Amino acid sequence: MSLEALFVIGMFATFGVLLMTGFPVAWVLGGTAVIWTVVGVVAVEQFGANLWFDYSSSMGLIPERVWGLVESETLVALPMFIFMGIMLDQSGIAEKLMNNMVKLFGAIRGGYAVTVIAIGVLLAATTGIIGASVVLLGMLSLPVMLENKYDKGFAVGTACATGTLGILIPPSIMLVLMADRLAVPEASVGDLFMGAFFPGLLLGAMYVAYAILRPLLQPRIAPIPDDLPKISPRVIWDVIVAVIPTAALILGVLGSIFAGIATPTEASGVGALGALLLALVSRRLTLPVMRDSLHQTTRTAAFIFAIFVGATAFSVVLRGLGGDRVIEEALLGLPLDPNGIIIVILFAVFLLGFFLDWVEITLIILPLVAPVVQSLGFDLVWFTILFAMCLQTSFLTPPVGFALFYIKGVAPPEIKVTDIYRGVVPFILIQLAALILVFVLPAIATWLPSVAYQ
Amino acid sequence: EDLRWKMPVAFSSNLPGLGSPSAWVADNLTTASNGSIQVRLYEPGKLVPAFDILQAVSDGKVQAGYTWIGYDQGKVPAIPLFAAVPFGMKPWAYMAWYYHGGGHELLQEVYANKGFDVHAQLCGIIGPETAGWYSEPIETLEDYKGMKIRFAGLGGKVLEKLGASVTMMPGGELFQALEKGTIDATEFSMPAIDQILGFNQVVKYNLFPGWHQQFTAQYMLINQNEWDKTTEAQKALVEASCTAATTRGLAEGEYKNGKVLETFQEKGVQADQIPRDILTKLQQVTHEVLKEEAAKDEDFKRVFESQQEFLKSYSTWAKRAYLPVDMTTMDDSQ
Amino acid sequence: MPEHDHNPTLYDENATIVGEVAEASLHHHTELPQTSASQKLDQLLIWVGKSASWLWLATVAVIIWAVIGRYAFGSGSVTLEEWQWHIAGTAWLLGLAYTLATDDHVRVDVIHERLSIRAQARIELLGLVVLLLPFLGLALYEMTPYAISSFSQGETSQSPAGLSHRWILKSVVALSFALLILAALSRLLRVTALLFGFPKPIQTHDNKRKAA
Ligand code: NA
Ligand code: NA
Repeated sequence: MSLEALFVIGMFATFGVLLMTGFPVAWVLGGTAVIWTVVGVVAVEQFGANLWFDYSSSMGLIPERVWGLVESETLVALPMFIFMGIMLDQSGIAEKLMNNMVKLFGAIRGGYAVTVIAIGVLLAATTGIIGASVVLLGMLSLPVMLENKYDKGFAVGTACATGTLGILIPPSIMLVLMADRLAVPEASVGDLFMGAFFPGLLLGAMYVAYAILRPLLQPRIAPIPDDLPKISPRVIWDVIVAVIPTAALILGVLGSIFAGIATPTEASGVGALGALLLALVSRRLTLPVMRDSLHQTTRTAAFIFAIFVGATAFSVVLRGLGGDRVIEEALLGLPLDPNGIIIVILFAVFLLGFFLDWVEITLIILPLVAPVVQSLGFDLVWFTILFAMCLQTSFLTPPVGFALFYIKGVAPPEIKVTDIYRGVVPFILIQLAALILVFVLPAIATWLPSVAYQ
Repeated sequence: EDLRWKMPVAFSSNLPGLGSPSAWVADNLTTASNGSIQVRLYEPGKLVPAFDILQAVSDGKVQAGYTWIGYDQGKVPAIPLFAAVPFGMKPWAYMAWYYHGGGHELLQEVYANKGFDVHAQLCGIIGPETAGWYSEPIETLEDYKGMKIRFAGLGGKVLEKLGASVTMMPGGELFQALEKGTIDATEFSMPAIDQILGFNQVVKYNLFPGWHQQFTAQYMLINQNEWDKTTEAQKALVEASCTAATTRGLAEGEYKNGKVLETFQEKGVQADQIPRDILTKLQQVTHEVLKEEAAKDEDFKRVFESQQEFLKSYSTWAKRAYLPVDMTTMDDSQ
Repeated sequence: MPEHDHNPTLYDENATIVGEVAEASLHHHTELPQTSASQKLDQLLIWVGKSASWLWLATVAVIIWAVIGRYAFGSGSVTLEEWQWHIAGTAWLLGLAYTLATDDHVRVDVIHERLSIRAQARIELLGLVVLLLPFLGLALYEMTPYAISSFSQGETSQSPAGLSHRWILKSVVALSFALLILAALSRLLRVTALLFGFPKPIQTHDNKRKAA
């Protein structure tokens, strides 16, 4: 094994072990980066190791990379969606929405989960920033689901997995980056956006199926609320009245994007203002509520950005130690015969997803494999969408599953990381099932782009 | 001792013309130097964000970088004149000024005057960008009033003066913004690159000529200490490789754009020419903007005057020497 | 329906300052005694973070202004676009230390929660000294010249219509790491107070309960 491979494995192992100590994720990422910077520098300077590693092009680049986070206009949406979620939660509107929706789905066990997924799919159409959607869904739904004695794993898994749909359903920064890296007209941003649409909906539908079927088999994980009224026109009317404000908010945010009034980033600000106004109208907006919401927005945004900061340090050091090359060589060493090449690549991506985030995987692997895939005559949109679905899954797979960290940060304290792990396993399986479906029926991904822009 | 250069780049190395020369230079330098200069290319975002390549090279955090130096406008006001100038020179005219008219030397001075420790080498150039993608045709100057448009650099400033609402929204939101009508228009690059972003799929008016960017130049930046370490042979190799990359990059763009435009036309994209009177007005405003910039920065003024000086005699030649384009093909239908 | 009692805001506000840790936070936070120095530091950092929180409202206002402006006045929005991330960036940067002071950075609690408070404190001690402080130290060491060079270059936006004075926000980045170091040191004091009784813990309601 090469020294580079050894170091790369060592760095991941260090991270995994330190993560388990319970020290904050962000600082474990940053601290691991420092430790391996020291290892790398000592190896090169003291032992003359033949690495391209040096301090200045790894940890030395921290300012440039942190600044890259600061000057990202797109990331402004993150705190805005968080604020919107907190405002809805604090003002009691979220709870009201959830409870009313359940009156409609009352007969269905798992009605709350279905509601979460429905909101999540809509939310996914407004933002591609997973931190925002996971946190927002978690804040809106977890307290209510737990209050109604939902199984902790089931509740948190649903919110967490649904929150990751945003990166697949357009608008999606991931798909834009992929188009840029592919740089071929057959897989333009537009083609990928269209291609991801049905697979995204398919996933949403499969989540819903799970949320309905699993409680049928295991009633205790999703009890039916006992004070549920019989469905009558009166109840439906009440529900409609109760849901209107929030529905208007969500549609307002979505609508402002679709009507071309606002960009996705701006829509996040529109949503924040909308939530503020809703709270004002429903007379919940006291000064303390306002203050608390703002403070909580800061702490929530800060813990997510801290993870970004730690992760950017981690990845630049990993890269300095030769992480890219190790992964590239491992991948090129795979048996890449035309039969099964797609499966082998996707499986590799799925496995890498346990350790690397989507940006890393896209940057390292997509340009490497796409030409091979295309030269063998496979549809590049289809392949890229499969790739994207694998990456969406990577948010859910421990140890480096960022959605898991985000949901932990906003989950009520009785939810443990083990509950989260337990809760997302079924969703990881659903992801794999959806992946197989799109693999077997490429039209799910390729039909819409083939007709959309003619 | 072999030199090892880490070279972050600003554009994907597989983007034709814009990014491809960077990969070619990295390979060529490593091979042609027999390994005495080893260049490893780092795709955008892998090491240094595109906007910070100059700073990182100057600080010696990386030994080299490959970028569109126009991004450094906020630190070196004169830089746009070396990167892309509205109503600027055609690529070969720019090359003439750069190689023979003192451009290369001026560029080193301009960086040094602002305290940057870099050696800059012209290392890629592409021909005109398109003047953008529009949801409605442009017929009069009035059409720019209130238009919501994404437009970069000095060209954006020109349009702002004409009453457009100019935005610099992030690249990741462009496609959707154009599709949903959040913006009415955007420019990005030349056709071979624009098609990757899918603009032709959502709007049908593609305007020409690209008045805001007749040439777009990329440079290899090398940390000054690192450059001082190189032997004469290595210096010569860097210069030769970059000169070759510039030629090859220009050739690649010129080769591909026509074909791409043809496929656009098959898909119903109108490749319209901006009417002459609008162009004239755009040019007037551009000159105002350039004069304003020149008044703000001594180096800008110096470089601008050097280019104007060259252009005076060059235009004597250029306007006589070249055939109209429609007379250089055998196709009568042109 | 009652207000749910597991809303994070109900327990982490001020809890670390006065030591009146609500029941719920026992599950969530590693509880450490306060010392007089760490208390003052935390108060400062929390005050900075809370003050910065009001910037979110400013962010909302600027976004809405940009949207309205584009339609109502057809005015250019490059400046407003840059204001958005300038303001939002300042808010989360200054919030980093505040979040550390309130111990709201996410932890993986698989093993952690089963450990005794002293074992948790030992982990915290090692984490602070080996992981967090070296990381923050390096970040501040690199960030300071980065901000200074922006100042000496008179750096402005790459966009001709953008904002000038980039050094201000770059200094906020450096400042945010400096504040994080203070927050980490404050936590370090609290850890050593628990483990070694130095500096002397302040008697609080919370500590008394633990001692009992
Ligand atoms: Na999305
Ligand atoms: Na993962």
